[in-house]
Amino acid sequence: MTATFRRRAAQFAPRHGLVHGLAGSLVLCTLLVAQDSRQTAPATEREEGIPVTDPLVIAKCGTCHVRDERGNMQRISWARTTPESWQEVLKQMILLNGLSLTPPEARSIVKYLSSSHGLAPEEAGPVMYDVERRIHEETNIPTESLQETCTKCHSFARALSWRRSIEDWKQFADSHAARYKIRSTGEAVEFLSKAAPLHTPEWDAWNSRSVTKDLAGRWLVTASVPGHGNYYGEMQMDRAGDDEYDTRVNLTSVRDGSPVQRSGRSAVFGGYAWRGRSKGTGPASSPDDLANEAREVLLMAPDQSTATGRWFWGQYQEFEFNVKLRRASSDPTLIGVDRSSLKTGSIATRIRLTGDHFPDQVAPADLDLGPGVTVRGVVSHSPSEIVAEVDVAADARLGKHDVAFRRSVLPDAMAIYDRIDYIKVTPDSIVSAFGDRTHPKGYQQFEAIGYQRGADGKAHTADDVALGPVNVTWSVQVFHEVEGSSSDLVGTMSPAGLFTPATDNPNINFDTWVIATATGEKDQKDKPLVGKSYMVVTIPTYTINGRQYVRELGRWVDDGPASGKP
Amino acid sequence: MKITSLTFAPLATLLLLMPGSAQGHHGWTEFDEKAEVTVEGTVTDFHYVNPHCVVEFEVKDETGHVRKWQGEFSNPGVLSRRGWNAASLEAGDKLTITGHPARNNVLALHVFRIRSSNGDLKLDLRE
Repeated sequence: MTATFRRRAAQFAPRHGLVHGLAGSLVLCTLLVAQDSRQTAPATEREEGIPVTDPLVIAKCGTCHVRDERGNMQRISWARTTPESWQEVLKQMILLNGLSLTPPEARSIVKYLSSSHGLAPEEAGPVMYDVERRIHEETNIPTESLQETCTKCHSFARALSWRRSIEDWKQFADSHAARYKIRSTGEAVEFLSKAAPLHTPEWDAWNSRSVTKDLAGRWLVTASVPGHGNYYGEMQMDRAGDDEYDTRVNLTSVRDGSPVQRSGRSAVFGGYAWRGRSKGTGPASSPDDLANEAREVLLMAPDQSTATGRWFWGQYQEFEFNVKLRRASSDPTLIGVDRSSLKTGSIATRIRLTGDHFPDQVAPADLDLGPGVTVRGVVSHSPSEIVAEVDVAADARLGKHDVAFRRSVLPDAMAIYDRIDYIKVTPDSIVSAFGDRTHPKGYQQFEAIGYQRGADGKAHTADDVALGPVNVTWSVQVFHEVEGSSSDLVGTMSPAGLFTPATDNPNINFDTWVIATATGEKDQKDKPLVGKSYMVVTIPTYTINGRQYVRELGRWVDDGPASGKP
Repeated sequence: MKITSLTFAPLATLLLLMPGSAQGHHGWTEFDEKAEVTVEGTVTDFHYVNPHCVVEFEVKDETGHVRKWQGEFSNPGVLSRRGWNAASLEAGDKLTITGHPARNNVLALHVFRIRSSNGDLKLDLRE
């Protein structure tokens, strides 16, 4: 795959569309193959296709995609993918093949293909980080050659966002290899044919289900915002069309009680793929203001009782709400606790539980925080909040405990710990970016999370227990600089851990440590705990061999010839 | 100060910046690849992160003073295929570390070999 490929994908993929184009690379290839297919006989497909029954798709796509007597349309019937990828396919068809569609027609086609030729929720889940625009370390690439073939220009998840027949993977790979000078695609075809086949038990099961269509009503919301803490509240969804909803959200900060009110509109594809936009009811006053307009990408559970995902914004999608929705019911429901950890031996610690439909009478016995944690009493309660005092025994079981109010349970909601063993700064490595005339700055929000070493007694292992945010002071240190040297040339950290790159773009990259020093917690040598994150502060674009490269999430992509660009 | 000039860096360096990821965001031009230094030290922290893994360690100099060193090497993707993980080095580990020294005399290495205190080879990136 060459840089040209990415350039074209980047050229045609608007960066802030309603459903943002993530699938530029593969989609473009699909398009190109489709172009070729008009001039050649259809390949012999040995697998059963997925018939196309939508009259609009048949009418608009049938000119090029031949439809057989079974209703299978060339290429289309042997591929499945996400709403983003189908939207990108349509964009490319419009831009390169002269397809003419009205916006309602385009929405209708994307909706049909995302449902009838989409992914099952179980297939979409593992690649959600890609459509949620999260920087994600992909550890599932089996070989270095596959890494070379598939991830030089896009994430591995983008490849795995497609499901194809073996024949279609071959056609795709052949076209890809020819056009983008990939030396060998045989291994990729072999792997993807097995890892991402057209027909799967998950898809068969999902496709045969009758999905409840009406999601309107009241939903309970839990949101985690890095640097701001947790928010709890509710969302009202009102139908605004077929599978479309107007949304109104009211959240309250656990940390300081400040409100967040947002409204927006969302579409739900295939009964589970939530895509939307929302913004605060007031104007946003800063890049990290929670009133900024955000894209919403959520995955609904198959039973449509919950949804999880990300609302995000920023030049590099660096600001976020991590969201969980739960359909409200008439039963008492616990949705959150104001603390994420309690220390062994602590006495009469007040905890605040947020929920819905708490009853008029609440007794200590209604609450359960697991063995070794005793509820001394209920201080106050209302339909949406319970304040209680709890004791933690010196020998209470360490680790995560469930928190329950009667039959409503929050799994692993409270960590019991004896000491904070170390601080982890999240994200532990990241890229931030200077701005220029055409690229706004790329900010970065950090958090310092306390950890307990876990049952194995060793720090930095899989069983370590996250205890929640720790109060720290922040600093930035440029690699190989003397400790304490000014880092103002690179940027500044706010007391809340928000890094803002310097206004002047020095046209060089900096490797830096973002250092969190605990204000209270100390190590066994009585020194403040310190955590570090590796941050590279980059320029937004650079030029090599006459081509311009721009940053996209954690990678650089070819943005075409540098000439004529600012 | 660790900086990487992008506009004027040699092609080899810039190729590392080509589409792919934040990994390999810079070359190793700040280190003297023709020189080798071996030091014995005690790990104070290990960062198993992109774009480079970093081991922080302390070394006693000839005068008995403890000096803080920083060793940079490879990335988690490569190291994981060699059986490494975030717990492969721990604070307190005593190691013999070999690498190319920084050109500007700061106490930093581009690490290519790590041995345990008993001489066992933990990592050799030249293999």
